[in-house]
Amino acid sequence: MWQLIVGQLLNGAIVGTLYGIVALGVTLTFGITGIVNFALGVFMMLGAYAAWYFADTVGLPYPLAVLTAVVVTSFAGLVADQALFRFTRNNLVNGLLVSIGMIAVMESSALLIWTSTPKEMHHVLPGVFAFFGLVVPKMKLVVFGLLLAVIFATYAALTKTWSGRAAYAYAQNAEAAALMGVPTSRLQTGVVAYSTGLAGLAGALYASLYSLEPTLGSLFILKAVEAAILAGIGSVAGALLGGIILGVTEGVGSIYLPLAFRDAYGLVFLVVILLFKPSGLFAGRR
Amino acid sequence: MTRRIVSLVGAAALTVSVAVYAQNVVKIGQIEAQTGTLATYGWMGHQGALLAVDEINRAGGFRVGSKTYKLELISPDTRANPQEALIQLKQLLEQQKVRYVFGPFLTNVFNGIEPYATQNNGKFLMLGGATAIHAMLGKPNHDYLIRTWNWDAGASGFGQLLVDYLKKQGAQKTAMLFQNDAFGKVAVDIYSPIFKQAGIDLKIELFEPGTKDFSAPLAKLSAGQTDFLFPGYTDAVLYDIVRQATEGGLFKRFFLVRGSMAPGQKNQDLIDDYIAYLPKYFEEAEKKEPKVKAFITAYKAFYKQDFPYDQAPLCSSSCYDHVYMLVDAMKRAGTVDDVAKVKKQLLSMTYNGLWNIRFDSTGEAVFDFDVLHMRKGRAISVTRINPK
Repeated sequence: MWQLIVGQLLNGAIVGTLYGIVALGVTLTFGITGIVNFALGVFMMLGAYAAWYFADTVGLPYPLAVLTAVVVTSFAGLVADQALFRFTRNNLVNGLLVSIGMIAVMESSALLIWTSTPKEMHHVLPGVFAFFGLVVPKMKLVVFGLLLAVIFATYAALTKTWSGRAAYAYAQNAEAAALMGVPTSRLQTGVVAYSTGLAGLAGALYASLYSLEPTLGSLFILKAVEAAILAGIGSVAGALLGGIILGVTEGVGSIYLPLAFRDAYGLVFLVVILLFKPSGLFAGRR
Repeated sequence: MTRRIVSLVGAAALTVSVAVYAQNVVKIGQIEAQTGTLATYGWMGHQGALLAVDEINRAGGFRVGSKTYKLELISPDTRANPQEALIQLKQLLEQQKVRYVFGPFLTNVFNGIEPYATQNNGKFLMLGGATAIHAMLGKPNHDYLIRTWNWDAGASGFGQLLVDYLKKQGAQKTAMLFQNDAFGKVAVDIYSPIFKQAGIDLKIELFEPGTKDFSAPLAKLSAGQTDFLFPGYTDAVLYDIVRQATEGGLFKRFFLVRGSMAPGQKNQDLIDDYIAYLPKYFEEAEKKEPKVKAFITAYKAFYKQDFPYDQAPLCSSSCYDHVYMLVDAMKRAGTVDDVAKVKKQLLSMTYNGLWNIRFDSTGEAVFDFDVLHMRKGRAISVTRINPK
């Protein structure tokens, strides 16, 4: 039994980092542009299909396919920002409407291009690590390590570089940051492109673990927003921890409670946390 | 004045010709999901029906009495949404005056449209594959229903025959992992007694729609020392379940009553047994059956794309053959409007097309099917079964 529980703790943490990296995009975008970009889920879907296409159809090595997918999604994010999102800065409702519209358009386009037949990438790194009775697929551990590295690198960049500190300054007081010479427009565009790139990376790594279908991003963006709220919007490390808490809650909850209500376990946990800490677990911390 | 007479005569002629054209077209409605995660069960039905309609029309149509008719297929996309399907059915019956409706294959869609369809009993025929249709056959005010897919249970039910086959493979404990939705619950109701009767223990887990990571339920189920995994029910989840089960060494033996061989073949090196019900294994049938070969050739020419071998078995429900059956029934009944007469003819015929299809007395299809068994070493054996 302990193997089952420890196995699900580990698996929940791995799945949780996927929630966490999209949550990081949500929290960054909200902090800098003032909108909750629900379209990050479809950028994740785009990244997943792009990685699958470049790896299995074009024949690029998987790491190169992942990099290409990240570039493609970042560029798509940049185009979306310049064409649509820049007109919705700090307007929550307009931003929400535009992002919902983008979800409809991008999911329908994906259906037209790739159809509803699931796509499964070749097994990039088959096999498992087995230790003390625990069995974890090798690729899951690689994905876990990569996502942790990217999240910590983002944290380091935000705290140690001028641009990162400028972003924090802008999130705290936009006018003061602008008066101090922070190029606000470029900063906002950069953050949107970076966030969509993160979603694209999540999608590209997701493609190595699960089958793809055009609606795959819908579930993840909901989990990511849950994770961001759980952690407290604005906290980078909190986004990761929020994702992991959510993943672990679902994984361990599924052992003892009916699997049919798995998504509810995370939501119940969220409600309980918000009752006692309305601003989230890590609000106020970086 | 002359101009006016000429234009009046012209208008009258146009009206008559439009009326004649309208009289000589039989409209077939189709309510299936063509997009979305559950589109597996509607997309092929649409592809096959459209191909049959095109073939019949290009051959000049069909004669009933002294008139020659052509077919028109009206097939909105339900996207597996019962509310959308209900609106589409209303449009088909009330605005398009359709008398023949193909579909739905999905139980949740059928449950959503059933009350409205029942109100229109006697005005149209519905030829659908949904599992939930089975329970409505023969009930008062449900004369409009014909079920176009083999039933799972009963002496000649494919599920019953498959569980018997599973028993012969030495199965003692089986784990059923299905989606927590309308069909998932119906499947549990159907298969629990079949397994019990066969003396095989059945552990059941239902998962939330949209689940992609099955590590927890698979670990839980394998801890119960089950020998076969019975996952369902669309390829959208089968790819993930089979991969995660085999990769972690949790299950090596699989048993399927819905879904394709593709998820098994993708992970074939790690699988000992993969037993699946397949209405037809087209890869094999193409070599042996001229009608199947002709269908595949016609499909490629019409759609100008590769033949979807993984989806094609689902053309066994409300699809290509059923368009031809309906036309045959209208010819035999001598009417395209009297749905009761057409239904009587449909239920009395045996159609020899891609499948040998007949209906039992309740209006449920009985057709031949394949049981595929992929063993370790990738060899696939195909057993053709003709239910009594």
